[in-house]
Amino acid sequence: MKARLKSLWVLHYDGGSCNGCDIEILAALTPKFDVERFGIVNIGDPKQADVLLVTGPANHRNQRVLRNLYDQMPEPKMVIAVGTCACTGGVFHNCPNVLGGIDKVIPVDVYVPGCAARPEQIIDGVVLAMEKLAGKAPEEEE
Amino acid sequence: MNTETLIAVNIGLPIVSALAAFLFNHRRAREGIVSVTALTLIVSSLLLFLNGGMELSLGHSFEVIVVVLDFVLLLYFLYQGFKALSWQVIVLSLGQLAPAAYFEFVLETPPVEAILVIDRLSILMTLIINVIGSIVLVYALGYMEEHESHQGGESRQNLFFFYLVLLLGAMNGLVYSNSLYWLYFFWEVTTLCCYELIRYEGTEEATENGLRALWMGLVGGVAMIAAMYVANYGYGTIAIDELLAAIPSRYLYLTFALMAIAAFTKSAQLPFQSWLIGAMVAPTPVSALLHSSTMVNAGVYLVLRVAPAIQGTYLTYGIAFIGIFSFMVTAIIALSQKLSKKILAYSTIGNLGLIIFCAAMNTPLSYSAATILLLFHSMSKGLLFMCAGVIENRLHTRQIEDWKGLISRLPVTAAITMVGMVSMFLPLFGVLLGKWAAIGITATAPLFLSIVMIAMMVIGSSATTLFWAKWLGHFAITPMSDSEPAKENLPATYKLSLYSMLGLVIAASLGSGLVLNRLVAPIVAMNYGKVWDTSILVLSSQIGSFMILPLWAALAAVFIVGGLIFRSKGGVVKPPYMSGENVEGEPEVFRSTADGVVKYQIAGMFFDPDITESRWVPYSTLAGVFLNMILLALVIL
Amino acid sequence: MNFRYMVPILYVLATPLMGGLMMGLDRKITARMQGRVGPPLVQPFYDVIKLWGKEPFISSRMQPILATGYLVFVLTGLTLLALKADLLHILFTLTLADICLIVSAYNSESPYSNLGGRRELLAMLSYEPIMVLTAMSIQIVTGSFLVSGIFSYGTPLLLVMPAAFIVQILVLIIDMKKSPYDVSGSGHAHQELVRGVYTEFSGYTMALVELGHWIKTVFILSLICLFWAHNLLFGAVLALALWFLAILADNIYPRLTWKSMLRTTWLTGFTLILANFVVLIVLEVI
Repeated sequence: MKARLKSLWVLHYDGGSCNGCDIEILAALTPKFDVERFGIVNIGDPKQADVLLVTGPANHRNQRVLRNLYDQMPEPKMVIAVGTCACTGGVFHNCPNVLGGIDKVIPVDVYVPGCAARPEQIIDGVVLAMEKLAGKAPEEEE
Repeated sequence: MNTETLIAVNIGLPIVSALAAFLFNHRRAREGIVSVTALTLIVSSLLLFLNGGMELSLGHSFEVIVVVLDFVLLLYFLYQGFKALSWQVIVLSLGQLAPAAYFEFVLETPPVEAILVIDRLSILMTLIINVIGSIVLVYALGYMEEHESHQGGESRQNLFFFYLVLLLGAMNGLVYSNSLYWLYFFWEVTTLCCYELIRYEGTEEATENGLRALWMGLVGGVAMIAAMYVANYGYGTIAIDELLAAIPSRYLYLTFALMAIAAFTKSAQLPFQSWLIGAMVAPTPVSALLHSSTMVNAGVYLVLRVAPAIQGTYLTYGIAFIGIFSFMVTAIIALSQKLSKKILAYSTIGNLGLIIFCAAMNTPLSYSAATILLLFHSMSKGLLFMCAGVIENRLHTRQIEDWKGLISRLPVTAAITMVGMVSMFLPLFGVLLGKWAAIGITATAPLFLSIVMIAMMVIGSSATTLFWAKWLGHFAITPMSDSEPAKENLPATYKLSLYSMLGLVIAASLGSGLVLNRLVAPIVAMNYGKVWDTSILVLSSQIGSFMILPLWAALAAVFIVGGLIFRSKGGVVKPPYMSGENVEGEPEVFRSTADGVVKYQIAGMFFDPDITESRWVPYSTLAGVFLNMILLALVIL
Repeated sequence: MNFRYMVPILYVLATPLMGGLMMGLDRKITARMQGRVGPPLVQPFYDVIKLWGKEPFISSRMQPILATGYLVFVLTGLTLLALKADLLHILFTLTLADICLIVSAYNSESPYSNLGGRRELLAMLSYEPIMVLTAMSIQIVTGSFLVSGIFSYGTPLLLVMPAAFIVQILVLIIDMKKSPYDVSGSGHAHQELVRGVYTEFSGYTMALVELGHWIKTVFILSLICLFWAHNLLFGAVLALALWFLAILADNIYPRLTWKSMLRTTWLTGFTLILANFVVLIVLEVI
């Protein structure tokens, strides 16, 4: 259990954002914020990831991809919606192709608002996810 | 059962059965004849092993028969040459007819007392020929039925089996012959069988390749006759055992060099490799029998026979060089091949080159390595060719790119093939034992020559690992599906032959300690003294130890531990990662632009245009010619 | 009898621990070189435990067996090394382990995994000649492939075959999957072909492979220790020096192509080691 909290591997998916939040996520990995010291690694493979970091809104095209990636992640997994677009659709929520936030497609555990969300907020969100995971764990153990 | 009877059976029974199979062109009759022959030959070879060796003198009438048959054969070759308008065949047949006639009828040659000599090496060869050959015969029964039913038309199988069974008799005669003339005769009979079987299909390609095999074989024949002349001139005898014990001189080395060149033609070493590659057009049993596990061993046998008499000479290192050069070049070319049988053919030439290299390096350990490689390679390669034939008959393609997902389509055959492939290059099996020993003796050549040989050995060995591994990997590609693998329906002949060969490969590898002590060590002891007396668990020699049984124990652990883990943790089979664009329920496709469904394709790695046959073969052949000329120059000058 | 086997067995049992700590140290040093703090030393153990506890996804029924095969055969190779057995045979055993990994990568019909498997084969093709040449050097100098022969030989191997020692850095770089030669799947923070040869592994199969990889790295480092067999502590210093150089190289070099990897390893490996032989022949050492 402790290992799960100490080793969170992240899959970062951009569903059509302006890349602002993506840059902030990558910034979190850089020496200034250095999330690797918490054991967080940006692994690109859903089969080995624990956390799905999504930026950008859900739309008709990427809902399939999002669903597919979510299904390819083994439990226990967390989804963090980074940025306002991922939370609610943001400035694009009225567009014809946009479904809204990603919670229209997959269950979300943590919402990190911001346009763009800052690295500190993202780290906060990840810590919230860890706490949720720790609280989640007893019910999940099968 | 006394040895004379066994010898008569080994040589005579195939001749009789071949004729019977030719005359009775019914399926049931043929199955009966071939099966009985196969069983008898296997039993006979085992009894011969238990009996031990001896020398045999035969009556004058046998010699007359051999001479007559030899001339009939040569005239037949000449006739074929005229019919096909092949100047090579015509010239080479005449090149044998005239000198042979002169030799037999004009020259005063003392008769050879012990015409047939059976020793430990001959017995090993008999085991290989009879046991592996018989298994392939049984396989051929099933294969040719399937093959002809695809083609339709009248059955010509009687002709096919005539030559196939005859070959076994000829090979047996070859390994017992102590007279160069008899050896040469049986040698030419194998050339005949090879020619007829390669051109069996009757297509233009088949005829062309058959002719090439014929004239290259005839080059060997000419070399043998030349060897007889030199031996007779220098020593007044053509008895092999006397020559091996004779006081060395330039004539002796020239004789052996010529015999080595004949060996190169038979074992398809550079520059004579193209006939074997071209021979792949023949039906697969031909490839399995002649061109991997039996006939090509005749060349290697000759080198093994001759090697002890040329220890420490330039000649022996020259022969070794040609062997290892062939090994390296064919290993590299095999990387670029996409046809299953061609890969197997190049691999065969490479392994034969390795055997010749080991034999000619002429140390006790290297001679053992040669024998080990000979035995294990014949089994594994025979198995692989048989499997390739089964797969080809079902998939109708030889392109290994199309051989995907076989684990679910042809589970049994695929599993056996994979074991066969693993047995060629991984350390649970005997072929790698031979290669390990071969690497160990590479440095025993004179110092600066050894550096070149070391480089060639390492390059060849790495290339070999690569082309087997990439084929094995590609073979293992399996589209994800929840369905159970298909039920494969193998006919009885296939099951019998594949399982028995597989069983042999595994048993021989597990028991390699026994193989070393009982089969190999006596052969090496004949000329080099005692080398092996190893425990069965760990095979140790002066250069190290090879641990086959501990590795099998590790393999058992893999299955046990892996099975336990899988049992306790389970596993849901999930589709592969395709950036989220998998299509539900369809494993091999992904969604692309405009939501179109696209099948994804993966091609293998074939290193073109860097390694292509058109680029490498001409230069290698030229190099081969050059090397052979140097070999002759070494002895003449 | 019992005591003789105790040391090797203890060594083998300690290897997963050593391997994990070295991996952790690797990440820590890398982080410090990049001006970061880096994960704790025991991070790799957290990773493996976490992986083991994930929901099991597999790509086919062959995968768990092949992943176990990789781990078991690497362990076998290491055990044989600790028992001072035949080096060439040990190298072949490691090839067997690698083949298990590669066949598993090909087995799942996945584009990334397949390409990763192919690159892993090329990586194997790159360092295998060097390893075989090293084994042959040992045979030529000490008379046999046996590791025990290195211990009984008078001079440290480093002084007799320095070329073989120098090219071990290439082997280490390729095995540790460090730039410039991490073409078949990279260390954690880097991605090549997603996860390259490891793409389709997940959960416990990934844990098995990860453990196998640690042990393989320890194996190669142990091999390098043999270059100063008379004082294994100094040998370990040599090994760690090369290991540190590999980490340094990772942080300096970009990833290069497989062709460049093949070319460099073969050219350097063959030329240096064969030249070493020539020198030894001339100096009449062999």
